[in-house]
Amino acid sequence: MTRDGDDLRVRVWRGGTDGAFQDFRVPHRPDQTVLDVVTWIQRHLAPGLAYRFACRVGMCGSCAMTVNGRPRWTCRSHVADVANGGRLDIEPLANLPIIRDLVADLTPFFEKWQGARGRFVPSAGRGDPTAAIAPSEPRRRQADLAVECINCAVCYAACDVVAWNGDYLGPAALNRAWVAFNDRRDGAPEELLRAVAGDAGCHGCHSQQSCSRHCPNELDPSRSIAGLKRAGLPAWLRGGDGL
Amino acid sequence: MIETRDTDILIIGAGGAGLFAALHAHDAAPELSVSVAVKGLLGKCGCTRMVQGGYNVALAPEDSRERHFMDTIVGGKWLPRQDLAWRLIEGAIERIHELENELGCFFDRNPDGSLHQKAFAGQSFDRTVHKGDLTGIEIVNRLAEQVWARPIQRLEEHRALALIPAVGESAIAGALFVDIRTGEFLLLRAKAVLLAAGGGPTMYRYHTPSGDKACDGMAMALRLGLPLRDMEMVQFHPTGLLAGPETRMTGTVLEEGLRGAGGYLLNGDGRRFMFDYHEHGERATRDVVSRALYAEMRAGRTTPNGGAYIEMAHLGPEQVTRQFKGMVKRCADCGFDLAGGRVEVVPTAHYMMGGVEFELDTSTEVMGLFVAGEDAGGVHGANRLGGNGVANSTVFGGFAGEAMAEFVAGETTHREPDRAALDRAVAAAEHPLSAKPGDLHGLRERLEQLMWDRVGIIRDRHGLTAAAAELDQMTSELQQTGLGHQARAFNLAWHDWLNLDSQLLLSRAITRAALARENSRGAHFREDHPDEGDLTASQFTSLRLDGEERLDLAMKEVEFSIVAPGQSLIEGEAAAPPGKAAR
Repeated sequence: MTRDGDDLRVRVWRGGTDGAFQDFRVPHRPDQTVLDVVTWIQRHLAPGLAYRFACRVGMCGSCAMTVNGRPRWTCRSHVADVANGGRLDIEPLANLPIIRDLVADLTPFFEKWQGARGRFVPSAGRGDPTAAIAPSEPRRRQADLAVECINCAVCYAACDVVAWNGDYLGPAALNRAWVAFNDRRDGAPEELLRAVAGDAGCHGCHSQQSCSRHCPNELDPSRSIAGLKRAGLPAWLRGGDGL
Repeated sequence: MIETRDTDILIIGAGGAGLFAALHAHDAAPELSVSVAVKGLLGKCGCTRMVQGGYNVALAPEDSRERHFMDTIVGGKWLPRQDLAWRLIEGAIERIHELENELGCFFDRNPDGSLHQKAFAGQSFDRTVHKGDLTGIEIVNRLAEQVWARPIQRLEEHRALALIPAVGESAIAGALFVDIRTGEFLLLRAKAVLLAAGGGPTMYRYHTPSGDKACDGMAMALRLGLPLRDMEMVQFHPTGLLAGPETRMTGTVLEEGLRGAGGYLLNGDGRRFMFDYHEHGERATRDVVSRALYAEMRAGRTTPNGGAYIEMAHLGPEQVTRQFKGMVKRCADCGFDLAGGRVEVVPTAHYMMGGVEFELDTSTEVMGLFVAGEDAGGVHGANRLGGNGVANSTVFGGFAGEAMAEFVAGETTHREPDRAALDRAVAAAEHPLSAKPGDLHGLRERLEQLMWDRVGIIRDRHGLTAAAAELDQMTSELQQTGLGHQARAFNLAWHDWLNLDSQLLLSRAITRAALARENSRGAHFREDHPDEGDLTASQFTSLRLDGEERLDLAMKEVEFSIVAPGQSLIEGEAAAPPGKAAR
């Protein structure tokens, strides 16, 4: 913990994959997030520091970084909760290419989102009434448990399997597929199960649950992935088309 | 030599308007190349994503288009362009079905499976469709997924610098960008361009919008010579989080529902003050509560950081935590106890009702240039109803996509860009890289304080006149304030400078329009002209930038094309809670 008035000692990643930490001292304030620390450094000490943020309040997930070894939203991480003896190490998200300094390239993350068929396939049109789905329907409850993902990629950065297997679709994409699977309006559930089958899909998950421990929204992608595994099983047993 | 590329349809912005335009343009004419350029990441920046409240749409049998329309017109203090407001209300009905049935949004349901519609301030019917208090995330996530899935060109972290006209005619040729990651310029030529960069009054000390917002779109429109209307109309949300200086938490919204549920606002002495100002107390509309809170601040009855408190504990901390889970957690992450303690709040600049004048099909007076979303003006008049914002961007964004596809079908070639205009835009953007280093951060703080003090919630001629002079001074100061840092790639200081350039121009526009309006309507309150004026002779402000960077202002008559003051299309009172309205 730090005392008000003491400087924070902050190490910030500079450069690309072969970069290095740079040391800064930043005034500590009672109301201060990690994003505020990064902002202060860029405004006062290192105008060329590259970082990314947008909404400031945990709605967009643009500002996720590695803070003292752990992926987090920096806008909602209070310094008092995360600084270790007044020290902060701030790096870009792991498991993604680095653009520069604290900015990760999220392209692979969103490609895999599509790879898991992370999108709705309609079965009705704008001229039709909205589907009468009671909030108490069991499948809707499953979807509701998983739907509030803001695609910040914190789970993806925390996932051991992603680190080992570059093809693995990852927890966020599979969690999205689970939401779509439980949406009975979706017009192509078989296609969806095909997309997430296999070692790059849900069967790649080793249930380490790092995703669920790190999700800032307290979602449980590990549970969603287990659900996909179960859902795919009957089709696989039927022989079908090799789900 | 600047890299030049061609696309058929160029969309600037990727919020509700830009994403809908991309989908509709592509679906209407899949053979056309559609490009979306956005300052941040696609689907992850901008303000649609931040919508908490919901989406106004007349669906229930007891509700009607006429009722939604009257709420919008009366709420907008008779200033909205009525045919645009009507188009919004009609379009919202189809758009909500499209969002649900084709894009996969799932909004909150009643126990019988029908869409739940909640109450929202200033409306005579409970018509706001929502997904909890995170409606915008559901809408933008589902939209972005559909855009990713289509062969639509994405230019992420590409900042638009200028709209480039065609040589010798009033038509658009494309837009100049800087790729934020590399710092390189890009000229994208297009047969049709949509301006949907969003507004965002971030030039005020306390503001709600996403940090990427800087009014770039409206600034580019002014510089192209387009007229902007209703620029004095800046909506303030009464309860922004107040967490002290140098934290980006300050200004972010604590949701409207806290007051609606019975939350108290207390001044620095710990006393409830809203009933001193209005019979509805804390449940009065945004503008009334913002003005009252600001008046307490001016009287010096403030909290340690200079605002007021919101207090919920009398409703039971467990109940508050259940009902406002997201808000309570957000405050807790930031070190504040919303459920059981007091949290400091301050009014915060939220939305710009004004924007580029446009037609029903989203076209502007420059051929080939279209506009939608917060960059467009005229739908909301003097005040925007909560829930009409995301409806506006998605409805008109979709129309823009179709209009551009149709327009491009008649265009055989790309128009030739005006090289002189392009050179000027490049020189303007490069200027800070060579100018002598100065205190950019200090200049931005001075602008924010000036706008807050003089052009904010309560205005008068004296303060506005002083502000106009100081803004001119700051504008020339910015030109003398360079950057110490020369590298162009991901140079945030450069973008801070460019942001300030846009913010200063729009600050001048707001101030000029606020001086011209000598009455008080909706979001605009003149202490020296506190009455609303003659509604039947309502006028709106219309601004243009001339060749010498001066703002020309005209007052134009509002056309009551559907309904005139004193008339109504519905039984009972519009823009008042349902209890008061005859059904």
